[in-house]
Amino acid sequence: MACDKALSVQALFDGELDATASAEIERHMVACAECDALFKDLASTRAALREHAPYYRADAALRSSVARALAKETGSRDALGAFFARTRQFWSGAISGAAGAGLAAAFVMFTVMAPVDDRLVADLTGAHLRSLMADHLIDVASSDHHTVKPWFAGHADVSPPVADFAAEGYALIGGRADYIDGRRAAVIVYRHGKHVINVFAWAGREALANETERNGYHIVAWHMDDLAFAAVSDTAVPEIEGLKRLIVGETQSGNKPPTP
Amino acid sequence: MDERRLRFEAQALPHLDAALNLARWLTRSRADADDIVQDAMLRAYRAFDSVRGNEVKPWLLAIVRNCCFTWAKGARRRGHVALGEEVANDDAAFRSAEPDPEAAAIGADEGGKLVRLVEALPEEFRMALILREWEDMSYRQIAEVTGVPIGTVMSRLARARALLKTAWIDRVEGGTRHGVR
Repeated sequence: MACDKALSVQALFDGELDATASAEIERHMVACAECDALFKDLASTRAALREHAPYYRADAALRSSVARALAKETGSRDALGAFFARTRQFWSGAISGAAGAGLAAAFVMFTVMAPVDDRLVADLTGAHLRSLMADHLIDVASSDHHTVKPWFAGHADVSPPVADFAAEGYALIGGRADYIDGRRAAVIVYRHGKHVINVFAWAGREALANETERNGYHIVAWHMDDLAFAAVSDTAVPEIEGLKRLIVGETQSGNKPPTP
Repeated sequence: MDERRLRFEAQALPHLDAALNLARWLTRSRADADDIVQDAMLRAYRAFDSVRGNEVKPWLLAIVRNCCFTWAKGARRRGHVALGEEVANDDAAFRSAEPDPEAAAIGADEGGKLVRLVEALPEEFRMALILREWEDMSYRQIAEVTGVPIGTVMSRLARARALLKTAWIDRVEGGTRHGVR
């Protein structure tokens, strides 16, 4: 690379430059064909990796052997803790051993019929509105769940299931970190026709009604495992419900192996 | 239940996939990556009090990295070709990877070719690329994991991407474009 700005172009591409430095490099790229081509190459390389290179995940066997090792280690420090760890291990073993119905039962899903939590509803619609207005819809733009899900691990307190349902009409367009009721939430962003659906997920068991309407926005809420979910959009409730069914179905069918 | 263990489960265990992904790309072997990650998680748990105010993820991945290098030394002693410790700073470092059942299963399609190109990158280049493109880590975080200055992270990333670009993008553009949407 002959141009001495090459590393700055890369830093711009990686989002490492502040506004002033970004503007300077962008001006330079207009004049320097080499740097302009470099930026495009960086984008092509990233796109190829996201499309073709897998994200390898820990499987159930590794998870349980890590849990066993931790329990054993804890046991030498705290016998009571080890007892509980063994009990928990038994259950996790029982769950991973069971197929089909057993797995579905493990992901107990229920809809809470309770009074609407006003503050939460205001937070959700507010966050949805801000995402549309302030050009802060997406922090990580990708239709690839292998890209979006690991991103959450580093940027949100929870890592909800992420899948693309483009074939069913709900295209995954990215993810975002947001705050709901003072807690960090992961937001999975889908496009359905001309509508954006923000799916918020956070650790909690808030008693949110399964359907709420506020200022023309609809919220469909549900729980899975320890996560509270709320899908917010200006589209009709049955459309949002369709996405909810896909997300719930995806989770119950277990973590599919990555498709190449 | 042990308070420390609860804290570890809440703060470190969520990065188990990141740990496995890094180890798998570094060792190019699923079985070795599993062993290394289990060992690394136990070491991390024992040393968990030393995290204090630091970010957990870079700290944990630095342990995984160290375990990978320890494994590589052992593998070399056992006579296997493994990670080298030194990065050769030339394109000749683009060497062929060891055959691996999981890699073989990836097949000979376009995706498989790209995977093999990444696996053939010198490991320090490969590591910077994995942390940047897969984990979306900042230069500072990557520097923390790899224990080198940010400038070194930047040049390793640039080298990794240039090698991949030469081997992949040019080839695709020069020939058929199938497999690239």
